[in-house]
Amino acid sequence: MDIITKTLFVMELAEYEKVSDQVKIAQRDLEQDGFSKNPFFHGIIAEVPEHLKSKEDSCMYFFTGHTKVGYSLYFYTYSSWKGRAVYMEDLYVMPEFRGKGIGKALMSKVSQLGLAAGCTQLNFTVLDWNKSSLDFYLKQGCWDVTSDLGYHCMRCEGDALEHLAQGGL
Amino acid sequence: MRFTICAAKPEDCKDIARMIMELAVYEKMPDQVKISHKELERDGFGPNPFYQCLVAEVPEEHKSKDGHTKVGYALFFYTYSTWKGRTVYMEDLYVMPEYRGKGMGKALIATVAKVAKEQHCVRLQFSVLDWNKPSLDFYLSKGAEDLTAKEGWHFLRFHGIALDNLAQEAP
Repeated sequence: MDIITKTLFVMELAEYEKVSDQVKIAQRDLEQDGFSKNPFFHGIIAEVPEHLKSKEDSCMYFFTGHTKVGYSLYFYTYSSWKGRAVYMEDLYVMPEFRGKGIGKALMSKVSQLGLAAGCTQLNFTVLDWNKSSLDFYLKQGCWDVTSDLGYHCMRCEGDALEHLAQGGL
Repeated sequence: MRFTICAAKPEDCKDIARMIMELAVYEKMPDQVKISHKELERDGFGPNPFYQCLVAEVPEEHKSKDGHTKVGYALFFYTYSTWKGRTVYMEDLYVMPEYRGKGMGKALIATVAKVAKEQHCVRLQFSVLDWNKPSLDFYLSKGAEDLTAKEGWHFLRFHGIALDNLAQEAP
């Protein structure tokens, strides 16, 4: 995987989700954590032929001349009810390449790899205002576990995580 | 009451499977549990385990009315945030009802957090059912944030036939 392209994609996706100030990792973190003996994540890249390379500039980042135009980052997780599962952390296609089936192809590939590894679920999250993504996913046959069953995503980080860890045995 | 929190061993899987079912009953979804101690043994104790597990144990003199000394567990695994790096996801946290209120739940989650910090993880994430007020209150009191309420994140899932159909379209 092209780490420089991947790092820039992460920034583009964060821009789209309006939270680019939240991105704290760098290229070296992705290299170390994705390509060691027990990687924390796996990734796939969508690439177009040279004659279809990107033409448009994208907000703060200048993305002309790229053939790597989309990616998905995923990792294996575990359901105590169903066993092995795969979690898709990111799915992204550069704006000028959308509507061509690339997003669907990336997601299908993650599903295929997950099934091959013995997984029975593909899980991910979507922001509730992101109607275009929600519609895309629901159209593919997934279901909204938060709306249907009432599961809320919870997180501890920073000082809260430190205080919590200090109580560990 | 004295208790210990230790990393699970393969022989703990029958107790863990028992408690997984008890938690599913509490969450009102016992028919959703499809794996047994065999899958837990296979998937948790190989060279690349899919999960880690901690077990809370009491001495023999405090065993449960059914004779169990393994009375709580936390099951978790490593995940990744493309914004922040290494993270931990706590899939389950459970203490048998007769052992609650003695600090075991807090000790289990604190030990997960400690392991997470040792592995340079910057977040501990998990999910809670919106009607589960005792658990929500417990987590919020420990400084957790409810990202669904605060930022609008929803969990989505493909499984069964929808997952098969999606995979068949892969290039």
